[in-house]
Amino acid sequence: MRNLVAMAKRIIRQIVRDKRTLALLIIAPLLILTLVWFIFGAKAAEPNLAIIHYKSSDLLPAFKSSDYARMSPLQARQALADKKIDAYIDLETPVKVHLEGSDPSRNGLAMSKINKSMQIVQQINVKKMKASFTDIIHAQQKSIQEQQQTLRQMTEVMQRYAPSALTSIMQNAPKGEKPTATAAPEKVKLDVTYLHGNDDLNTFDSFGPAMVGIFVFLFIFMIGGVSFLRERTTGTLDRLMASPIKNYQIIWGYMIGFGLFVIVQSFILTCYIVYVLNIYTIGHLLDVLIIVFILSFSALSLSILLSTFASNELQMFQFIPLVIVPQVFLSGLFPIDTLPGWVRALGNLMPIHYSTEALRNIMIRGTRFEGWWFDGLILILFSVVFIVINILVIRASRPVVD
Amino acid sequence: MTYYLSVFINGHFYLYWLLNISQSHSIIINEHSVQLGNTKDVTIMSYPVKGEHLHKHYKNQIVLNDVSLTLHEGEIYGLIGPSGAGKTTLVRILLGLEKADKGAVELFEQKPTLNAFRSLGYMAQSDALYNELSAYQNLDFFASIQGMSGKAKKQRILEVAKTVNLEKDLKKSVAQFSGGMKRRLSLAAALVHRPRLYLLDEPTVGLDPMIRRNIWTLFHYLKGKGATIIVTTHVMDEVAQCDRVGLLSEGKLIAQGAPKELMDHYGVPSVEEIFIAIEKAGDKK
Repeated sequence: MRNLVAMAKRIIRQIVRDKRTLALLIIAPLLILTLVWFIFGAKAAEPNLAIIHYKSSDLLPAFKSSDYARMSPLQARQALADKKIDAYIDLETPVKVHLEGSDPSRNGLAMSKINKSMQIVQQINVKKMKASFTDIIHAQQKSIQEQQQTLRQMTEVMQRYAPSALTSIMQNAPKGEKPTATAAPEKVKLDVTYLHGNDDLNTFDSFGPAMVGIFVFLFIFMIGGVSFLRERTTGTLDRLMASPIKNYQIIWGYMIGFGLFVIVQSFILTCYIVYVLNIYTIGHLLDVLIIVFILSFSALSLSILLSTFASNELQMFQFIPLVIVPQVFLSGLFPIDTLPGWVRALGNLMPIHYSTEALRNIMIRGTRFEGWWFDGLILILFSVVFIVINILVIRASRPVVD
Repeated sequence: MTYYLSVFINGHFYLYWLLNISQSHSIIINEHSVQLGNTKDVTIMSYPVKGEHLHKHYKNQIVLNDVSLTLHEGEIYGLIGPSGAGKTTLVRILLGLEKADKGAVELFEQKPTLNAFRSLGYMAQSDALYNELSAYQNLDFFASIQGMSGKAKKQRILEVAKTVNLEKDLKKSVAQFSGGMKRRLSLAAALVHRPRLYLLDEPTVGLDPMIRRNIWTLFHYLKGKGATIIVTTHVMDEVAQCDRVGLLSEGKLIAQGAPKELMDHYGVPSVEEIFIAIEKAGDKK
C-alpha cells in the first residue's frame, strides 16, 4: 500500500512539475474540442440563388424575392462564374437549374432549397389544372342541362302521343345514381416527433460523445505511454525492479497516479463541453464522468502495454496511426452498418467504440446506469486484460521468486 | 520472518550511520533496543552474492559462459574487462534483473526474494533518475519504495545528500543537473536505504578525478561498516583499490584474486597486462 502511494505520488509530482505535459493533458483537448465545435456546430450558410426569365412566368410566387435574386440571364451567368451565387433557375418551361457545382455540400444546400420551392411550383400547377378542370366541368354541365331540356320536351310530346311506349322506356332506363359529393382530400402535412433529441440537434451534438472519447484516449495514450517508456529507457524501471516493490504495485501505482489526473481532466473536459460549448445532453454529468474515467483507464493500460514494444518515443508515436486513427473511423463517428463484417468486428475490439455508444446513450438518449452498464463493463474488461498482461510482462523480465 | 530480519538489519545499519555520520543522537537511543539480541548472528553472512555456472546468450551471441563467482562479506570486488565482455549482464543477472539461461544465483545465501532487495543497492550505467523531479523528490521516492518513511526518511535523505556533496542542490530539478551531479545523485539513490550489498555498474564513469576519489573514499568507508561492494570499472587505478578483482573476457571469468597476487602470479606490473599475459598463454597452448 505504501509503495502504491509512493508510486502515485511520484507520478503526480512528475506531471505537476512538467508544465507542458500538464497543459497537453488538460488544455489541448479543450482547444481541439472548441475547434471541432466551431466546425461542426455552426449552422449551415443559406445558399445564394437567383432566377431568370421570371417576368412572364406565373411560377414567380414560388420564388420569394428574399430567397431568390432577380437577374437577367447574362447577370446570372456572370454571378455564377464569380461564385456569387450557387445556382440560378430558368423559369421558362420546362424549368431548368444551373448549379455552380464545385462544392458538393453547397450543391446539396442549393438543391434542397430549390426542391422546397419546386413543391410550391407544383402546388401552383395543381391549382392551374384545377381551374381548367373546373371550366371543362362547367361547360359539360351546361350542355347536359341543355340536353335534359330537349329530353323533357320530347317526353312531353311522347306522353301526349304514345304513353305506353314511354312507360316501357322508363322501366328499361338505367337508374342514374346521384353523384355524392366527395370530401376534399386533407392537406398532407408531416407531424414529426423525436424519440430522442430534437430538431435543433446539430452535427456536433452527435459527434460530441465520440469526440470526447477520442481526445481523452489520444492524450492519455500519448502521455501515459511515453511516461512508462521513459521509465524503461532511463533505467528507473530497473532500479524499481531491484527494489522490494511488487510487480502489481508498479502498474497500479501508474494507474492510480494517472487516474487522479484523469479525474481532473475528465471533469474539466466534461464540464467544458456541457456548460461552455452547450452540447446537447439530457443525461447526468456523473454518468458521463464515469464513462470518460473508465475509458481513460483502458487508454492508460493499453499505452503501458504498447510501450513495451517501443524502444524510443518516436516508436511510441508510431502506434498512433495504428491504434488511434482506426478508432476514430470505426468508433461510431461515421455509420459502419454497411461495412463488411470483418471491419465491423474490428470496430468491436476498440475501446472508443464502447465509450461512444455509452456516451450517446447518456447524453442524447438520457439513459442512466441501465443504458451504459454493458459498455462500461466491456471498457473495464479491456483495462483488466491490459493490466494483467502488463503485470505478466514485468514478471517475465524479473526472475525473482516472490 | 524475512521481513523482521531485514528490519533488524536495517536497524543495525541505521545505528552505524548515525554514529558515524550524523551529529544527531536523539534517535540512536530508540534504535538501541532493536540492536539487542541476535542481530550479530544475522548480519554475519559469508556469501552475500553467489553465482554458479551462469550461462547467458542473446540470439547467437554468447554473453556469459560458465561464470561462477562468490563474494565475501565486507569486500570490494572489482569486475573488470573490455567493453562487451559481459560485465553489465553479469551484474544484472546477480541482481535478478535478468534470467540466466543456466546456473543459479543466491543473494544472502538463499534464492533471490523481493525482501533481499531491501539490503541491496543498485546503480546502473544510466543515471536512472526522474528528470522532472527535484533531487530531493527523487531520493524521497527511492527511499519510500525501500520502505522508509517519516522523519527517519527525511533525515536520511539529507545525510546521503551530504555524503555525495549535493546537499545544496536538493531543491533543484534534476534536469538542471550536470552529468557529474546526476551520477552522484544516482549513487545517493543507491545508498539511501543503507543496503548491505552494493552492485554498482561503472559508478565513476564521466566523473572528474576529485569526485572520483571522494567516491572511492566513500566505498572504503562503507566497506568499513561491513558492506559488500561489487563494482564494474574500466579505470585501472580503481582496480588497485579493490580487495579482489575478477577479469571477464568474452563471457568468461579468466582470472580472479587480489590484484597484487594476480600481478605476481603472472609476473606483470599492472592488472591490464594480465589480460595480455593470459591471451599470450592461450596462444602458446
